[in-house]
Amino acid sequence: MGVDEKFSAIRKGLLEFLILRIVATDKVYVADILERLSSTEFATQEGTLYPLLSKMRREGLVDYEWQESDAGPPRKYYELTPKGRAQLGELDAYWKEINRTIGQLGR
Amino acid sequence: MQKVITINLNGQAYQLDEPAFDALLAYFARAEEQLHDNPDRAEIMTDLEQAIAEKCVPYLGPRKTVVTAAEIAQILQEMGPVDGGRPNDGARRESATGSAGAGRTDAHAPKRLYLIREGAMIAGVCNGIAAYFNVDPTIIRIIFVGLALLTKGFWILAYVVLAIVIPTATTSEERAAAQGVPFTAQELIDRAKRKIDAKFKRPRWRWRPRASWSRPPSPPAGYATRVFAGFMVPVLSLANAVIFWLFAYILVSLIATRQAFGDRLPDDWPLWAGILMAAVIYNAVVWPLHAARRASYYAVAGDRHGAVEAWDGAMSFGFSVVIVWLAYRYVPEVHQLIDALPAVWESFRDRTI
Repeated sequence: MGVDEKFSAIRKGLLEFLILRIVATDKVYVADILERLSSTEFATQEGTLYPLLSKMRREGLVDYEWQESDAGPPRKYYELTPKGRAQLGELDAYWKEINRTIGQLGR
Repeated sequence: MQKVITINLNGQAYQLDEPAFDALLAYFARAEEQLHDNPDRAEIMTDLEQAIAEKCVPYLGPRKTVVTAAEIAQILQEMGPVDGGRPNDGARRESATGSAGAGRTDAHAPKRLYLIREGAMIAGVCNGIAAYFNVDPTIIRIIFVGLALLTKGFWILAYVVLAIVIPTATTSEERAAAQGVPFTAQELIDRAKRKIDAKFKRPRWRWRPRASWSRPPSPPAGYATRVFAGFMVPVLSLANAVIFWLFAYILVSLIATRQAFGDRLPDDWPLWAGILMAAVIYNAVVWPLHAARRASYYAVAGDRHGAVEAWDGAMSFGFSVVIVWLAYRYVPEVHQLIDALPAVWESFRDRTI
């Protein structure tokens, strides 16, 4: 089992956190999110992202608005809701906590 | 040369060739299944449609208006399997198709008896029965021929009755039921994939398109292709008939005299081993021929291939009559064999019963 595979569940779990971080910076379109993730370990695909975004919207973390685009039909641009922003704060803090724990354990 | 299907992806018309269309259907069927109990299913499906539509755009231009199967495969690869977050859904699934659906409950789909026309010799009775019992159709065919001989032809009547009584598997659900395969979206994907691998072969199944997806009459194949295919239909038909009767002769000759064309079956071989070997060789030779025949029907007439198929059937029958007559007239061995058939038959029956 490779390193990549050992952390696959963790990466999947972190995806929502990362999307919150990306959406927090700007209003983004799905292709933008994929683009931002594509060069990282968290590269993902529409097939995963659309269901995840719709779940996050149901939970009230993100919302979208339609914007006209030059090429083709209007696109959904996602942004954080206040609830999403609050959750991002909590997740950020928790993630720092985890990192510190990992740093303290061993060596 | 491929049939082209126009689809409506989120309000825009796109043209796909048929294997591409099937692959796309399979993808959506699979997505629908994954999102089965997702309250946002309709919305996610629309999102996916739009994403696919946008990915099609770079592949199209003023001189290229059709999205091919390879391009759709590439696009769907980029899209990735739809992850509905179902509980048994492992992590990310790049190579997902293999394991999906394995743990589902519908492994024991009810099996039903159907006529299966694909690869059928006559009406698909033996084919259907073989699928029902999960054995090689050739074995059933040999049994049927044996029964027909044993009953002095009466069994042919039984065959005709079976051909009339048993319904034909026309939809893919029925085909799946005939094979006892659970008809899931997974099955659709697997078949679609196999089909992309073998582009030239005709589709073995067809899914009913969604109401909003139109299927305009396909444009005819290029003229040269059609002429060539039209020339190939009788040639393939003749080849098929010759091989079939050669096989029939070898079978009868083996049973009657334990030899065919001067080659004796080794004495320590049982007769059935010889027959089995002949059947295996026959099938190996005939299979690519069948595929080529089907492909040529489509090339000649596109959607109206049924007429060509019927005409080819009649032609095959005609060829068969001529071949048997010629063999009877000019090949002394065959002549002797056919003349001796009643006697051979009596002795065979006396030995076996």
